[in-house]
Amino acid sequence: MNIRLDNLTVNFDDRFQLDQINWQLDDSQHWVVTGANGSGKSALAAVLAGAGENLSGSIEGLPAKVGLVSFEAQAELIEAELKKDDADIMDVIAEGTPVHEILNPGNSNQQLIDELVEKFQLQSLVDRAFRKLSTGESRKVMLIRALASEPDLLVLDEPFDGLDAHTLEMLQEYLATLVETVPMVMVLNRFDEFPDFITHIAYVDHGRLQHQIDRSDETAYNELYKLLHLKTTDLAVPGADPDNDIPRLDSNQPLVRLNGINITYDGHKIIDSLDWTIERNQHWQLSGPNGSGKTGLLSLITGDHPQCYVNDIFVFGFKRGSGESIWQIKQFIGYVSTALQWEYKVGTGLRNVIISGFYDSIGLYTKATDKQKQIADEWLALLGMTDRADTPFNKLSYGDQRLLLIARAMVKHPPLLILDEPCLGLDDMNRQLVLALIEKICAGSETSVLYVNHHPEDQIKGIENYLALEKREPGK
Amino acid sequence: MSNNYFNTLPLREQLEQLAKCRFMDISEFPDGVEALKGKKIVVIGCGAQGLAQGMNLRDSGCDVSYTLRAAAIEEKRQSWKSATENGFVVGTYEELIPTADVVLNLTPDKQHTPVVNAVMPLMKEGACLSYSHGFNIVEEGMKIREDLTVIMVAPKCPGSEVRNEYVRGFGVPTLIAVHEDNDPKGEGLALAKAYAVGTGGHKAGVLMSSFIAEVKSDLMGEQTILCGMLQTGSLLCFDKMVEEGIDAGYASKLIQFGWETVTEALKYGGVTNMLDRLSNPAKIKAYDLSEELKVIMRPLYNKHQDDIIDGTFSSTMMTDWANDDVNLLGWRAETAETAFEKTPAGDVEISEQEYFDNGILMVAMVKAGVELAFETMTAAGIIADSAYYESLHETPLIANTIARKKLYEMNATISDTAEYGCYLYNHACLPLLADFMKDIKTDVIGKGLDLEDTGVDNARLIEVNAALRAHPVEAIGTTLRGHMADMKKIV
Repeated sequence: MNIRLDNLTVNFDDRFQLDQINWQLDDSQHWVVTGANGSGKSALAAVLAGAGENLSGSIEGLPAKVGLVSFEAQAELIEAELKKDDADIMDVIAEGTPVHEILNPGNSNQQLIDELVEKFQLQSLVDRAFRKLSTGESRKVMLIRALASEPDLLVLDEPFDGLDAHTLEMLQEYLATLVETVPMVMVLNRFDEFPDFITHIAYVDHGRLQHQIDRSDETAYNELYKLLHLKTTDLAVPGADPDNDIPRLDSNQPLVRLNGINITYDGHKIIDSLDWTIERNQHWQLSGPNGSGKTGLLSLITGDHPQCYVNDIFVFGFKRGSGESIWQIKQFIGYVSTALQWEYKVGTGLRNVIISGFYDSIGLYTKATDKQKQIADEWLALLGMTDRADTPFNKLSYGDQRLLLIARAMVKHPPLLILDEPCLGLDDMNRQLVLALIEKICAGSETSVLYVNHHPEDQIKGIENYLALEKREPGK
Repeated sequence: MSNNYFNTLPLREQLEQLAKCRFMDISEFPDGVEALKGKKIVVIGCGAQGLAQGMNLRDSGCDVSYTLRAAAIEEKRQSWKSATENGFVVGTYEELIPTADVVLNLTPDKQHTPVVNAVMPLMKEGACLSYSHGFNIVEEGMKIREDLTVIMVAPKCPGSEVRNEYVRGFGVPTLIAVHEDNDPKGEGLALAKAYAVGTGGHKAGVLMSSFIAEVKSDLMGEQTILCGMLQTGSLLCFDKMVEEGIDAGYASKLIQFGWETVTEALKYGGVTNMLDRLSNPAKIKAYDLSEELKVIMRPLYNKHQDDIIDGTFSSTMMTDWANDDVNLLGWRAETAETAFEKTPAGDVEISEQEYFDNGILMVAMVKAGVELAFETMTAAGIIADSAYYESLHETPLIANTIARKKLYEMNATISDTAEYGCYLYNHACLPLLADFMKDIKTDVIGKGLDLEDTGVDNARLIEVNAALRAHPVEAIGTTLRGHMADMKKIV
């Protein structure tokens, strides 16, 4: 068997479309197809069983006998059974098709069926009408039917859903005995359910096959785990710490007001007479080429730029240079940038890195409260890093560090969250991870986001205000 | 000619001042920078330390400006550039000093007398003059106008770290003191505490000391273990390795980065931990070597401490100042010409553990130097806390400078007084160790012990471990590092 999908676009009753799928599967491989709800993972699996209408591209090498188990197939069968009942015009009570007939539509291996019925402990149900079974029972019937049909390819869409622990374990073991003879494609969205024999993982999002990963690539596997976790988790962004309240700001004043700002290096003006006001609840995107002064401008706001003392800057109720300290400013800001990540070269554990966001420090120098620890643990759960709470930060991958710094920036729910090119230097998977996290943060929070970005594909939903800086040539 | 202030005091008071040193709890700083609020701070000098402290104070909400000599402003020297590019007001002494409530003298020791003589007449009645090193007051006997408050705030790290640690939200350990002869309004301590808060020092630990204890311990530490021992050790270890046929590039690298690596272990867990990084036979070897070194070098450490206490050192150095630094500059040039300094680190991979395994003699030298400096200081009446900071605590900081650019960087970064004392030490120590070095082979420097079997005698190991742990520098170190760790969870 060697199945090949080339640039395949498939339509499903105009409800859903898989776009430009390129995918190859062969005999020696066992795949998991995964993705968030509505991503198209079931559709992709169903294509292997012939579902959908091909709009363009090609699919080759589909085997003749595909054993398919899915909720859709199960629903179809049950519906067909119920229709039989409707169609009965004779005045007798219709019993519907008995289970043993469903199990063996004609040419299956009866000995194997009997064996499986015993394994699934369905002996007492074989003579009952299929439509009278519970969902779990009819699911088992579907599984037995598919397994006993001696298929060339098994497509199992969430086969473990709704099975009791005992049956689940039995099924896992049984599937493991088949791997030498039947290639398998399983749709699963819980990593802990991935059987050991799985060799490859396909990740589907928005109807596209986004990632194909060889399971032996541990790095990619772990990243995919987190991405899927962030996309599928019910966990929301943890709340602020009620005991660690940021002072309330005057709601009539803007968060930031820059008045005729100049930034000069060696006599050369990088920023010239810029006015900029960020009102409460506004989200901004800041863009501009390298050297146009984006980072300089941001650091005037954060107080990290020494020229903030020679400019007319009003931030969070303070006129800069009037006796305020930078810590009074920083308490209102969450900040993430590549430079911060470079500076954050510490062996502090992940939980403490998140807590350091309450104190705007690099590393943690204050004893954390229980509440802060609890909030940090909620963030770790959201990021799927609970088991690494005490891992040193500098042992993390680059992408994981970025995720953690975003959590650190957001942990105190600051009025202003500054994300200075948060996707910079990240590969595709990590970019998606970061964007997924940012979107989660932006949804339902009162934080104004100031986002520095110049990649159209890294847009964040909900940003309506734009400031574009231009690079000033020397001497102008 | 100057009049050594310390020598004018009766013995009773000398001892009392030397023994001043108390670790302050962070709860002793509830008022933050309040005592400096609304006051005009003028910093004299804008080198690394001056710039770092000024930026920290400004970021803590203080009003900071810089005053430089008129020539530095006219010629737009680096100090002028540093201050103006960072958005500070810069003016001459005449322009700014009369407006200042607090004047921070952050110029090099050597300039203190002319600088203080120039600014004192310009200072407001009742203002405060702050030093970050007490040499001018203690060794030169500078008399400050009676209406002025005189304090000292001395962060125990180079300027770059003073700034970096502040930006991280932390600080560096800082020593504060009030010159009791000049505290007319009794506000010296409040100002010094606020200043320490403004630079972030209170988060990392503040030592309340005296001008005298600071000077006498600082001079001792810097010229013996901190700079002198590392310089002498570098030269001896390098020459020995090359003589024994070890690749010069490897030898250069082992030393340049070896001090930093082994003293990193010292920073985390004292001398005990540094030796615990060695195998048992190597540990016993290092211990034996260091015991031998201590016997040979003890008279030298005593001499340095004696010369510092009675003022011989400072008067010798000040003679050289008066003589256009002929000795200092000559010795600096001589250092630049040494084989170690001229051999670049080779392009070889040396693992962290290898620096220990192949640098047993370096470990022994650090141990001997730290313990001797500590023992000598405490014997002279300096309190253990202070002696710890001026010996063990600062060794890794100096070792870092060697890792950057060898002895050149070390001598360029440290103060002139440290550099002068370092050369004195080196000149005396090289011949002192000549016989000892004759018996040294590559097993303790360059190649490691190369043992088939790392077995040792139980009784001997127990004896060595007990001796390591029983040294008084380990007891005070455990306490002080405990304070640090409580505050600095980063470690």
